[in-house]
Amino acid sequence: MFLAALTSGDYGTVPPDVALVHRLLQRDVRAFEELYDRHSRAVYGLVLRILQQAGSAEEVVQDVFLQLWRNAGRYDETRGPFVSWLFTLARNRALDTLRLKSERQRRREDQTEEFPPVAVAPEYEKDLDEKRCAARVRALMASLAPQQKRAIELAYFEGLSHTEIAAALREPLGTVKSWIRNGLLRLKEGMQATT
Amino acid sequence: MSDLDQFRQMAEAHALGALDAEERAAFEAHLAAGCSGCDKALAEARWLVSQLAYLAPETAPSQALKDRLMRSVGAESRVVPITAAKKSAIPFWLWAGVAALLILALYSTWNTRQLSGEVKRLQEQATAENQKREKLEQELAASRQEAQMRAILTNPESTKIMLMPSKKDMPSLEAKWHSQLGLVVTGYEVPKLSGNRVLQLWLIPKDSKAKPMPSITFWPERDGKLAKLVANPEEAMPEVKALAITEEPAGGSEQPTSAPIWVGAVS
Repeated sequence: MFLAALTSGDYGTVPPDVALVHRLLQRDVRAFEELYDRHSRAVYGLVLRILQQAGSAEEVVQDVFLQLWRNAGRYDETRGPFVSWLFTLARNRALDTLRLKSERQRRREDQTEEFPPVAVAPEYEKDLDEKRCAARVRALMASLAPQQKRAIELAYFEGLSHTEIAAALREPLGTVKSWIRNGLLRLKEGMQATT
Repeated sequence: MSDLDQFRQMAEAHALGALDAEERAAFEAHLAAGCSGCDKALAEARWLVSQLAYLAPETAPSQALKDRLMRSVGAESRVVPITAAKKSAIPFWLWAGVAALLILALYSTWNTRQLSGEVKRLQEQATAENQKREKLEQELAASRQEAQMRAILTNPESTKIMLMPSKKDMPSLEAKWHSQLGLVVTGYEVPKLSGNRVLQLWLIPKDSKAKPMPSITFWPERDGKLAKLVANPEEAMPEVKALAITEEPAGGSEQPTSAPIWVGAVS
């Protein structure tokens, strides 16, 4: 239900992204280009943030959008917003590349699966568009303590575990766990409060 | 804190990928046990975590990347994928039925041709067999006739009848008549007959008022030889006083139409 009203657009009750995905299933190249134009900046920004290298980031973004073109049917609109699915797919691919490059053993098989699992947006998110959502996330994260924000970023952008983050920040494991959990809860509450 | 609360608190860290291996395994085992509350919490946590992507500054990728992607997608769009292919208006089972009927029709045509060929071959074989049988029957009849003629000619009980010619340049003929086996007429150097004329044997009754009885018609062979059997003479030998042979039209006559060429008395 939240999907229908997550973003407003010219497609009636169907979100623009979902309508475009429907057209992708009909092999509509224009729909693909439109989706790329809508999301490539955010996806590339995310992947570049993780990989810190433009060439590798473009390779991953190319792979992500080709997977979208070839496997658009894997996205289930009833199970979450398209952009969450796309971001998760891009993050997983980028972290995979990062881990391969650093020759780290993959710790999180579920996090590196080819297509992301269900992501449910809470009801309070239904009126947010992407720009407003991005601005809110940035504002809320900026309000966190620097160490708390850093711990979350290490987990999200570098794929580190609690233990690895604790080692990287030289903080107790319990403290790191609390920072991350409390930070995410604050993010969640903040997004809900500003709706 | 209950175990359930502990698991519920792991949802965000799991979505973030921050749980260590042991915690992750325990949480996933809990999910596998069917905890719908934690499953829902994890789904919401995944959405929340996905929003962290907005922390990264939006950056435009190169135009070359878009160009490469559009070329790849454009090339692939010309190949109709299986999943996006339009379903045929005609269902598969109907195609299968049509194919089966076509195969059946082809088989029937082939089978008909085979059968027609077989029938023709059998007909030709039957015709050949009939011709062979007729030939054998003819040969058998000829053999029987020859045997009967030999029996009449060699039987001491046969009565010899000399058929004398009415003209000097004609050879005389000989007949032998056995009361049971029949009558044989033989001769040599008999001249060829003209046109469609034949020789006809007549039995002349002893009763002077009775008319000559027509018997078989025959003609000499190319070498002038003559040997003809009358298996069942039209009259018994005691009732016949003479044999006569005339020249008649093909098919014979009811009454003699010419003077006898040969005549012989039955003694």
